[in-house]
Amino acid sequence: MIRLKNVSMSYSGDKPALIDVNVEVAKGEFVFLVGPSGSGKSTFIRLLLREYLPTRGTIFVSGQDIVHMRHWKVPYLRRNIGCVFQDFKLLPNKTCFQNVAFALEVIGRPKHIINSTVPEVLRLVGLEDKINRYPGELSGGEQQRVSIARAFANKPPILLADEPTGNLDPATSLGIMTLLSRINRTGTTVIVATHDRETVDSMRQRVIALEDGKVVRDQQKGVYGYED
Amino acid sequence: MKISPLYFTKEALYSFRGNLVQSIAAITTVALCLMVVGLILLVLFVGGALIENIENKVEIQVYLEGADITAAASTVTKTEIENQAHETIRAWPEVSGVEYVSKDEALEEFRETFQDNPDILNQLSDNPLPASFRISLVDPRDVDKVAERIKQLPNITGLVGDPETNIEYGRDTVEKLFALTKWISYAAAGFAGMLIFVSLVLITNTIRLAIFARRKEIAIMRLVGASSWFIRWPFLLEGMFEGLIGSAIAIAALTFIWQTFFGNLASGQVLAFMSFPFDEIPFTELVLLLLASGAVIGSLGSVIALRRFLRV
Repeated sequence: MIRLKNVSMSYSGDKPALIDVNVEVAKGEFVFLVGPSGSGKSTFIRLLLREYLPTRGTIFVSGQDIVHMRHWKVPYLRRNIGCVFQDFKLLPNKTCFQNVAFALEVIGRPKHIINSTVPEVLRLVGLEDKINRYPGELSGGEQQRVSIARAFANKPPILLADEPTGNLDPATSLGIMTLLSRINRTGTTVIVATHDRETVDSMRQRVIALEDGKVVRDQQKGVYGYED
Repeated sequence: MKISPLYFTKEALYSFRGNLVQSIAAITTVALCLMVVGLILLVLFVGGALIENIENKVEIQVYLEGADITAAASTVTKTEIENQAHETIRAWPEVSGVEYVSKDEALEEFRETFQDNPDILNQLSDNPLPASFRISLVDPRDVDKVAERIKQLPNITGLVGDPETNIEYGRDTVEKLFALTKWISYAAAGFAGMLIFVSLVLITNTIRLAIFARRKEIAIMRLVGASSWFIRWPFLLEGMFEGLIGSAIAIAALTFIWQTFFGNLASGQVLAFMSFPFDEIPFTELVLLLLASGAVIGSLGSVIALRRFLRV
């Protein structure tokens, strides 16, 4: 499903953000990407979204070489990858429904499909009674649920989450992680970059640890394993 | 939902309203710029037509002041020389016609010109005016060449006496006129180009602000995989609207200026003597040109503004 081969990446001039990373993620896996700040977790996620190109190496997503992918094909790659961020990236002037619908509208989904899909995914994330609320009226955890609903609305085979619980308290965080793992059980490959020691330890999933841009540990049913 | 022109138009109008002050500023600039451009073009058309009028009046006068060599018992008569020169000149491809004006005809014209000044006419005892050739040209720019060639004719002194004084064509006037026409066209084109550049910059700025106001939406659109053109169209249309509205205002203003100013000029005393062909101003083409310029400036400005935002 996802394969990185000898991937190195450095932003202009700086010390490399990723060094010779080799990772393979199979279809339907749930992977935690852990490591201290600046270890390259976000770079990893952004390379998969093709927000950046690696300096060296090849990346395959769903069998496609995304490094040599034509520029105009990138949007179609992204339609297969749902994405969740620490800062939610919701539009404050749109309701929950409209925020989720927006993601489907801009990739040209027909209106009747949008009208049936949006309430369904909002129910999946447990927000069926807040469907017409604005993000400002919701708690952080609820906002993140909306953003997960948006990422999942198109039923992408891959879901990436970059510090999805970075702004949330531990109890809420666990709820978000549980939600992500429920999405994983529908067959979606999920990669979560996180700092959140407790949830990683409690969930016992595959853990890939990055340190200074290198993969230092890749462990099935792993734990966080850092004293930071 | 299919990607529909209606959706893009709605988005463009929405953005236009949300950004009203900036949009009005951009429209005003485009309107002003295109108005000046249009005005320059109008003046160029009018000026060009006037100059063409003058150019068409450029002719070479050859005064046949040669001494009467019949008296000198020459082998050829003066009339023969004149006839021969007439034939020769008329055969040149640059020459469209040679008119022979006899001494009597010249005097008649002189009388008509000065009919309000009987004093001058009364002082004429006999006819001091020479006969002449009036040579009109296919292209007035050839006037120099043709005049020189006349001077090279055999028996030229027999024909005109002194060729330097008796072959006239207002050489300085003609050359200055041509130089001026060229210079004005270049200056006007340069000025128009500068104004178009300024409008382009302002439209770009407006659209950039519109984009900036919606950068979160655009970032999310990129993220969930909206295609570049899907994101581009509303802004492109917005820029195009602004350009078109601007050019429409410019056209309205120009029409007003044309009717009140140039219209009076043409019907009034100022230009009446020029017999100016006002029907020949290609007004439809000018309108289309300005509309097209507005649309192009608007959409080009948007594309430039969008380039940076669409990279990732």
